[in-house]
Amino acid sequence: METIGADIVLQILQEEGVEAIFGYPGGNSLPLHDRLLGSPIRHYLTRHEQAAAHAADGYARATGRVGVCLSTSGPGATNLVTGIATAHMDSSPIVALTCQVNTSLMGRDAFQETDIIGITLPITKHSYLVHDVNNLATILRQSFKLARSGRPGPVLVDMPRDILAARCERAAPRQEAPEATVEQSPSDRQQLEKIARALNQSERPVIIMGGGVKLSNSCDLMLGLIEKGGIPFTTTMMGVGSITSGNGYDLGFIGTHGNQLANSIVHQSDFILAVGMRFSDRSTSLIDEFAPLATIAQIDIDPTSIGKNVKVAFPFVGEIRETISALVKLVERKERTPWMERIQQERETTDNCLPYKGCGKAGHFISLVQDAMPRETIAISDVGLNQIWTMRTWKARTPRSLITSGGMGTMGFSVPAAMGAKIGAPDRSVVAICGDGGFYMNIQELATISYYNIPVKIIVLNNGHLGMVRQLQDLFYESRFSTVDLGTHVDLVTVAKGFGIPARRISVDDSPEAALAAMAGAEGPYMLEVMVDPNDYVFPIIPPGHPNISMIHGKIC
Amino acid sequence: MSIEERTITILVKNEPGVLSRVAGVFSGRGYNIKTLCVAETTNPEISRITLTSNADADFTEKIKKQLDKLVDVVDVLDYTGERFLKREMMLIGLRITPDRYAELLQAVNTFGCRIIGMQPDYYIIETSGRRSENDAVFKYFQTFDVEMMNRTGSIALPRHPQKDSA
Repeated sequence: METIGADIVLQILQEEGVEAIFGYPGGNSLPLHDRLLGSPIRHYLTRHEQAAAHAADGYARATGRVGVCLSTSGPGATNLVTGIATAHMDSSPIVALTCQVNTSLMGRDAFQETDIIGITLPITKHSYLVHDVNNLATILRQSFKLARSGRPGPVLVDMPRDILAARCERAAPRQEAPEATVEQSPSDRQQLEKIARALNQSERPVIIMGGGVKLSNSCDLMLGLIEKGGIPFTTTMMGVGSITSGNGYDLGFIGTHGNQLANSIVHQSDFILAVGMRFSDRSTSLIDEFAPLATIAQIDIDPTSIGKNVKVAFPFVGEIRETISALVKLVERKERTPWMERIQQERETTDNCLPYKGCGKAGHFISLVQDAMPRETIAISDVGLNQIWTMRTWKARTPRSLITSGGMGTMGFSVPAAMGAKIGAPDRSVVAICGDGGFYMNIQELATISYYNIPVKIIVLNNGHLGMVRQLQDLFYESRFSTVDLGTHVDLVTVAKGFGIPARRISVDDSPEAALAAMAGAEGPYMLEVMVDPNDYVFPIIPPGHPNISMIHGKIC
Repeated sequence: MSIEERTITILVKNEPGVLSRVAGVFSGRGYNIKTLCVAETTNPEISRITLTSNADADFTEKIKKQLDKLVDVVDVLDYTGERFLKREMMLIGLRITPDRYAELLQAVNTFGCRIIGMQPDYYIIETSGRRSENDAVFKYFQTFDVEMMNRTGSIALPRHPQKDSA
């Protein structure tokens, strides 16, 4: 068989080390799906393209490698949009391959035609429409490079059907341009010295780490910095799990649903070193009242993240690993006894003021799930109460073991992302923790999971409601519940079994040992539905529009 | 922070859709593009987009960072202020009657415009200069019977080439 465009796609995917892709065929993808038959690349057929995008994203977040999803034109491509936007907001490296109508039909409202490039302009790092089969290899190679380099993100490649079917030569082997090593410039060196000096002189410093630390694989370096300087640290929700050793400097995570200690200490700090975090409104709450006493130094690879939301006295644009390696040499240890004592005192009063750390019975249940699963288990939360309970309770043992959709907060992310994570990291156990709301959103993927026998464990914390919205309505809309009742009439255990997945239901009040053992011990996939009281919420939280020190601990009647 | 008209010039690779992407950065961040001009440079692979926007002093730094993220953007320069010469062009189509020919010709000479289209009953005037000058010329010609008008966005160059024109 002669080489056609479709073969080039598979050739480049293999060259990039892609072993598995997630996708869904259609009329305009026929040339590509045909040639897949002869390829060692495994194609997982999901039951919705959104799930394919989430699976590629989960694969990327669990492994650090570029995830790949594939769809046909028109509705197939538009179904990827939510997944692409989710990856974009959290800087996750994926390549989305969309097939397009023939070049001769483009722009004529052809069958299943859509301007997917136009639609995804704001949610992709970059995108390409392939006009010439001879450019296909270059474009695909460039896409992978863009997806994973600098600040990672999704790249979309739109490939017309006739290009995929066009005859061509096999792509020439990639020209490896040697990676230019960038020497630290003198002005960079000066700026780092200023940052180090300010940090060394500070009385009440705090380090805040975001998702960028994990993305740049700098977790070990950050630990070195924290321990050398003796500096307390906190993270954003996306940074949870960066530091996995309990070393006494950990304040928890900041933000609307974070730890009160973290929010309070940040508020009192005189110096903040922000690494790989973007001061999102979820982390800072009311900007005008955020950290009023602190001088801020911010290190990030993306210049647009620096100084975008808060005033930064010491900006530093650079690759985090290199920067922290250089910075740690300049940082001195200072015994900041009054600061550490103050932190310790506050820790004693705030951390245990609520049972189960404010996460109630469901939070406690999640810690029991973790105890029942192997140590290197990857946990993937959905969005809502289940997310906050998981992020506050699960102890990450390795940097990529706790995954959540932070920036976009996409419900329905957990189950397909767990699929992708398991396929990317087959040697690790994977558990998806979701609420009933999120579970419904990609429920069709239970069929994919059972078809391929992907051994993901799924915990559905079922309170019959959209829990987080219900909590907000209960607290801030005088308990006027509107449109949050999902009902408990659906027998999710029967549904799961109908999809071919063993399942069981317990109440959060029951002794869970037998159920957890059954789940952890199952060879294949397993779903455990846990009935939770809809009045179980998560506390403390920052009420909307309030500064980060105004956390409330319960419903004020 | 004072709001004034900022002039930005962006050098971009001549790839399909690049203008969309640039415009998308503005609309996505809530900035308004007041005027826009785009054409190839002497290098046909590179185009120059010149646009103006009403914004505060922070704007240039912020938008430059956002634009630099785009793969097809080569350079972003700020052409606001006294160090730059900024000009626009305008075409005015007006109906004319023989009794007013002389008056029109005198106005054209005084203003330094050009008549580029001449039919017995319809003239097209071309004028170029500062926006305020073009506005004044247009205001005058409204005393004639203006049928149509088309004007460009601003283009600009530094009075003297220098390295730090960003």
